[in-house]
Amino acid sequence: MTYIIILIVSAVAQYFLPWWVIAPIAFAICAWKSKTAFGAYAAAAGAISTLWVGYAFYLNLNNDGIMLHKIAGLFSENIKFLKILPETPTFFVIMAIIGSQVAGLSAMAGYHFRQFFK
Amino acid sequence: MKFVKFIISLLAAAGLTYALNRPLGAIPALGRLFSPFEGFWQNGESKLNLPPTDLQLDGVQDEVNVVFDDNRVPHVFAKNDHDAYFTQGYLMARDRLWQMEFYTLAASGRLSEVVGERALELDRYSRRMGMADAAKQVYENGKTNKIFDEVLNAYSAGVNAYIKQLKYKNLPVEYKIIGYQPEEWSPYKTILMMMNMRNVLNGGSDDFRMSNALSKYGMDVVKDLFPNYPSNESPIIPIGTKWNFTPVQVPAVPAQTTATLSTSETVAFSVPQHSPEIGSNNWAVGGEKSATGLPILANDPHLQLTLPSIWYQMQLCTPTMNVYGACLPGAPGVVIGFNKDVAWGVTNVGSDVMDFYQIKFKDNTKKEYWYNGAWKATSMRVEEFVVKGRPESLKDTVFSTHHGPIVYNSASDKNINQNVPVGHAMRWVALEKEGTDLMAFYYLNRAKNYDDYHKALTYYVAPAQNFVFASNQNDISISPNGKLPLKWKEQGKFIMDGSNPAHDWQSWIPVDQNPKVKNPARGFVSSANQFSTDPTYPYYLGWRFAPSERAIRINERLEKMHKATVDSLRMLQNDNFNVEARRILPVLMKILNADSTETNNPAYQTLAKWNMKNDANEVGATIFERWIKELRYIVFEDEFPMKDLKSPMTYPSRNRMWDMVVKEPTAKWFDDVSTKDKQETLQDVVKHSFKASIDSLTLKHGSMSPENWAWNKVKSTDINHLGRLSGFGRQDIPNGGGAGIVNATTELNGPSWRMVVQLDKDWPKAYGLYPGGQSGNPASPFYDNMIDKWAKGELNELLFMKSKEYKSSRISGTVKIIKK
Repeated sequence: MTYIIILIVSAVAQYFLPWWVIAPIAFAICAWKSKTAFGAYAAAAGAISTLWVGYAFYLNLNNDGIMLHKIAGLFSENIKFLKILPETPTFFVIMAIIGSQVAGLSAMAGYHFRQFFK
Repeated sequence: MKFVKFIISLLAAAGLTYALNRPLGAIPALGRLFSPFEGFWQNGESKLNLPPTDLQLDGVQDEVNVVFDDNRVPHVFAKNDHDAYFTQGYLMARDRLWQMEFYTLAASGRLSEVVGERALELDRYSRRMGMADAAKQVYENGKTNKIFDEVLNAYSAGVNAYIKQLKYKNLPVEYKIIGYQPEEWSPYKTILMMMNMRNVLNGGSDDFRMSNALSKYGMDVVKDLFPNYPSNESPIIPIGTKWNFTPVQVPAVPAQTTATLSTSETVAFSVPQHSPEIGSNNWAVGGEKSATGLPILANDPHLQLTLPSIWYQMQLCTPTMNVYGACLPGAPGVVIGFNKDVAWGVTNVGSDVMDFYQIKFKDNTKKEYWYNGAWKATSMRVEEFVVKGRPESLKDTVFSTHHGPIVYNSASDKNINQNVPVGHAMRWVALEKEGTDLMAFYYLNRAKNYDDYHKALTYYVAPAQNFVFASNQNDISISPNGKLPLKWKEQGKFIMDGSNPAHDWQSWIPVDQNPKVKNPARGFVSSANQFSTDPTYPYYLGWRFAPSERAIRINERLEKMHKATVDSLRMLQNDNFNVEARRILPVLMKILNADSTETNNPAYQTLAKWNMKNDANEVGATIFERWIKELRYIVFEDEFPMKDLKSPMTYPSRNRMWDMVVKEPTAKWFDDVSTKDKQETLQDVVKHSFKASIDSLTLKHGSMSPENWAWNKVKSTDINHLGRLSGFGRQDIPNGGGAGIVNATTELNGPSWRMVVQLDKDWPKAYGLYPGGQSGNPASPFYDNMIDKWAKGELNELLFMKSKEYKSSRISGTVKIIKK
């Protein structure tokens, strides 16, 4: 449930607000809903991963992957080891890590916040 | 304990979020960049990506219709000129905003604000040159011309209408990666954009290099090796053309023509040398030479190729004009193009319009300098640099004399090439503050005949261009045109004496006495950046223009051409014949031939069989180009070192060198001065350079084979991203050509727009393309879609619409812009 709520709320919020709004959203929803620290982390990280990967997948498909390919080229010219990794999955994973860690850590902070005041 | 857990997890979450929301050195803010809601994913375009069919904009006065064709070229149909320029600004911003702003940041010396320290020295150089200041003045002076002011303001308003509605997620991806926001546009920025062009095309000088050669070898050697007119030339204005004007008085050559260099003085500037590759070709054949009986015109300006592309195609139609052509992002109007009746194009004029003066200051405060027997005050301004990543701004004091700015004050100044001029003032035509260049294009866009063309040219200042022209009244013409200083002979070939009034630029060549030819007997006009005229022209324009090979080839082919068609001119644009090889290869081969060990060499045999064309797959071209480069280096680097930091010089021209090889085979210059006990001969250096070329090619590209040594592989043309973002350019484009070849495609430079227009009484037929695409968005299919066709030498037929009702299967959509 927490997973679904975070997913929906952050999808709507990110349309109007900067990307980091996922942090306060995960914090607030997990402070309200979560039963365990790990549960909070998993729900938020999972929700943002799903949302970001899903939306980026759609945008990437529409663009035939041209933008992703250019960005991958830019990064791998500067960070050489990226060249040996498969391009598309790598950049989806990087994105998912960024989104999920911000959301997951914020969710844990939210859970501990609640515990502190309980 | 609970509190500790909370605090730790909060700090971790907040810290990570914060870190990902701000750039770290060269790494952009990764959170924002990777977020699919805001970051780079949002820049992915699908298909044509046209604006919505109805666009409401604050700023248009009436309804505007924009028809997009299958190459994403906008055809703007407006009911008044204001709306046309407004829409042009809006559409260019939509496709090229980042690029437009980048040019203005470069010209005004503000790149370090966005990219940080690494652009600081370049910025200091640009600020010292004073282009930003000049641009402001040009606009202030120009706006008294009401049309000029209106056009620039309408264009700016259009650009700003686009910028205003931009949200972060729609920013061009370069802004997201580098991490900054676009600023408001203004007429001043359009002039800055033109300043950038002046700098690219006129911002080179050989003065200090020549002064160094003069002080080392004396005037006789310099006159011999660096003549004022080459032995082998085919000037733009055909030899024998009458000058039908009464020349004005040319200033007398003063007794002393150069500054005296003191022995302790280091003369080295950061100013780049003339670059012959940044040249261009244009020509027009008259009706008697064409298949249609009316003129056909061709133009291909050569510039450093970049993505987003230098040019942007557009059609502008209003009650006062209907014009199509290549536009410069950042500037209103069409720069190279055609309308129903006329077509025109430009190539650069290589006249000497940047000179340096030695300045004697009274003391270290640099407040006064010696001029005409008295102390004269300098003016001073302080330039402030806001550098990204630096807490406080930097300051730099720039002094100016009546000649122009002191480019660098003292030898301890850091600058881009460690080439430091000490107390030298620069006089540069690009800093001319009068004139309204853009009006030349404004009138050309509306020209109906030769007289209109003639009038339009009088508005043009700099960078001087060879304006080629053709009309459907069967007139053809060409004119090296711009504001040209009236100089005494060889004025500015060397560093001049800043205290001597006779060394000042005293006046200008009257604009109606600029070289010009109309309907010459030979039936065609052409230019390839070579000498504007032969020495019978009454004024001195400069001593070094681009080498003449391209011009010679173009003129000999046009001479022979009958019943010319669009295709014959297109094929000439792609001509890869090597005129220099025709002239010198047999001579060099004969020298090698004397030794049988050389003739058995496979490289020798390849050269012997070579068809003298720089085609993509030719190995002969690879060997020859490398060889003459090596030979020139071996012959001259010992006596005229180009790379010497303290006292750089320049080599005598290739033409002069070949004269020497043929007519003065025992010249002392063939000797290598670094070998004390040995006297090298012409034979020695030819052999040595041949061997060195083969060795260096083998080292770099592997053993000789048609694959390893194919000319296109060795030359390897790259079209890089304007902001040097790796992965955003296109590398190793398969094509032939070369620096002295009509198809002047080199490693980084080349034909930035190719156009052929067949004039017609009813409606012209035009063809063209450039190596890139209409969109500046790296994620658009229209970012680089024309490159492959360009590399093959093909052209697109250009859709020139009679009206917005014009039917064509190539139309892919129409956008209606209405008042908000």
